[in-house]
Amino acid sequence: MNEKSGSLIDSLERQGVSRRTFMKYCATLASLMALPPAVGRAFAEALAKATRPSVIWLSFQECTGCTESLTRSHTPTLESLIFDSISLDYHHTLQAAAGTAAEAAREAAMKLNWGKYLLVVDGSVPMKDGGVYSTIAGVSNHDMLMDTVKGAAAVVAVGTCAAFGGLPKAQPNPTGAVAISDLVKDKPVVNVSGCPPIPVVMTGVLAHFLAFGSLPELDKLGRPLAFYGETIHDRCYRRPFYDQGKFAKTFDDEGARQGWCLFELGCKGPVTYNSCATVKWNDGTSFPIESGHGCLGCSEPDFWDAGGFYRALSLPANPLHVAATAVEVGAVVGVGVALANRAGKSAAKAGHETATLADLEK
Amino acid sequence: MSLGDIPIQLEVGGLTGSAPAVLREIAYLLERLTRYGEAGSIDLHGLPLSPADRRWLLDQLGRGEIEIALEIGGGSRIVETAYPGVWWVAHDNEQGVRTSEFIEVTLIPDLVPAHPDDVESGLKNLKSRISDLS
Ligand code: SF4
Repeated sequence: MNEKSGSLIDSLERQGVSRRTFMKYCATLASLMALPPAVGRAFAEALAKATRPSVIWLSFQECTGCTESLTRSHTPTLESLIFDSISLDYHHTLQAAAGTAAEAAREAAMKLNWGKYLLVVDGSVPMKDGGVYSTIAGVSNHDMLMDTVKGAAAVVAVGTCAAFGGLPKAQPNPTGAVAISDLVKDKPVVNVSGCPPIPVVMTGVLAHFLAFGSLPELDKLGRPLAFYGETIHDRCYRRPFYDQGKFAKTFDDEGARQGWCLFELGCKGPVTYNSCATVKWNDGTSFPIESGHGCLGCSEPDFWDAGGFYRALSLPANPLHVAATAVEVGAVVGVGVALANRAGKSAAKAGHETATLADLEK
Repeated sequence: MSLGDIPIQLEVGGLTGSAPAVLREIAYLLERLTRYGEAGSIDLHGLPLSPADRRWLLDQLGRGEIEIALEIGGGSRIVETAYPGVWWVAHDNEQGVRTSEFIEVTLIPDLVPAHPDDVESGLKNLKSRISDLS
C-alpha cells in the first residue's frame, strides 16, 4: 500500500532495513526452506533485485487470526514489512479505504498487474443458499473470488479455512463452506495451512515466487514441502520420552512436570505436518508442546472434527517401534477414558477438585 | 509455582556420530577453495546434530584470530576457526533466539564486504556532507 516501484531491496532500504540485514534474513529463510547454501546465495541476489510484488488479499469466512499472525508483531519484522508495507495492494481489513473506494482499489490493482499479481485468500467460501452467508460490498465471496482470480498468476490459500474449509466447514457445516482449491481449478493454488499459519511460510512462498519465478515444491495437499514435509512428532523435543513410553497422564501430574510426552493427553503431533517444532512461534520463542499442551493438528484437513483435542490418537505413529506402549495406550483411550470421563466429571463437580483432561472431553 | 520452576528435562544422548562427517565435508570444501577458488558452506540447522555433537565440532575447529560481531536485525557473529578460510557464522533474531547457523568455507564471509551499490550511495552521502561544509 506504500512504495509502488523499484526493487525489493530499495523498498526495504527506504524502510530502514540494511542490505546485510536483508542478506541475513535470506540466509535464514533459505535454510528454513531447505535450499542448499549455494542456491541460498543466488536466492538472496535474485530476491534483492526482484521488483516489488503485487499482492491482493481477500478475506472470506475467517476470524482474522491469519492476518494477525502474518502482519502483526511487537517490532516490525522483515516478514511484516515485506507484506504489510510493501506488497499489499488490497486487503480490506488493513487498508484505510472502505466501500466503493476499496473495491475501486482492488480493480485498479488487478488491471495494473494483470497476469502477475499473487492472490492471497484467507477464509473459506460459503456455497449454501447462493452464498448469502458472507458478502463484501454486496458481492458473494464466490463471485469475488472467481472475478479476482482471473488475472492472478497464482493463488495462496492462507490458513486452514482457505486451504481445507477449516472451522466454517466443521460439522454440520451450516454455510456449505468449501476450500479455495474446490473452486479454483485453472490456476496453481498453494495451501499455507495452520490455524493460524506460521508467518515465515508465507514469506517463503512469496520469496520463492519472486526469486525463481515459480512456486515451491508442494506436498499432496498442496502445501510447501519445505515447511510441511515432516510431522510435529518427527521434530518434537519430547520425542525421546515418547520412544521410552513415558507419557504425562494429566496436565498436572509428575510426568507433565518432567516434560514427558503429551500423546495420551491428545497430542496430534504424530499426524500433523507443520514446522512449529523447528520454526516455532512468537519470534522463535516456543511452540504449544513447549508450553505443555499437545498439538491440535491445526494444519490438517478437518482437524475440528478429529474426535476431540484431548482424546489420544487411536494408534501411535510408529506402532512397530512402540508396540508395547500401543497396548497400554489402547486400553487408556478405550474403556479407561470413557469410564474416567463420567466418574471424574461427577467427582470433580462434587468435590471441586481439579478436573482432569477427561473432564474436558464431555 | 511459576513457569520457570517447571523443569523440562531432556534425555538427549551424547555424540551421535554425525559430527566427524561434518569435519570431512569441511576438508572437502577447503580443498575446493584452495584448488578452484570456489567458496562453499554447510547449513548446520539442517543437520541432525545433538548439542554434544555441536560442542565436539566447535572444539575440533578451535578459534582463529578474527571475530566479527554484527548488529543486523538481531546479533550475528562470524568467528574464524583455527583453520584459515573456515568460519562459524551464527545468526540470532532480535529476541536473541538462534535462527540459523552455517560453516562458511571462503576467504571472506559473504556478509563482510561492502556491496558496490552501498559504496556508491555512501560516496554520494559523503560528497553532500562535504558540500554542506562550504
Ligand atoms: S506425541 Fe506429541 S508431545 Fe509426544 S513426542 Fe509426539 S509430538 Fe511430541
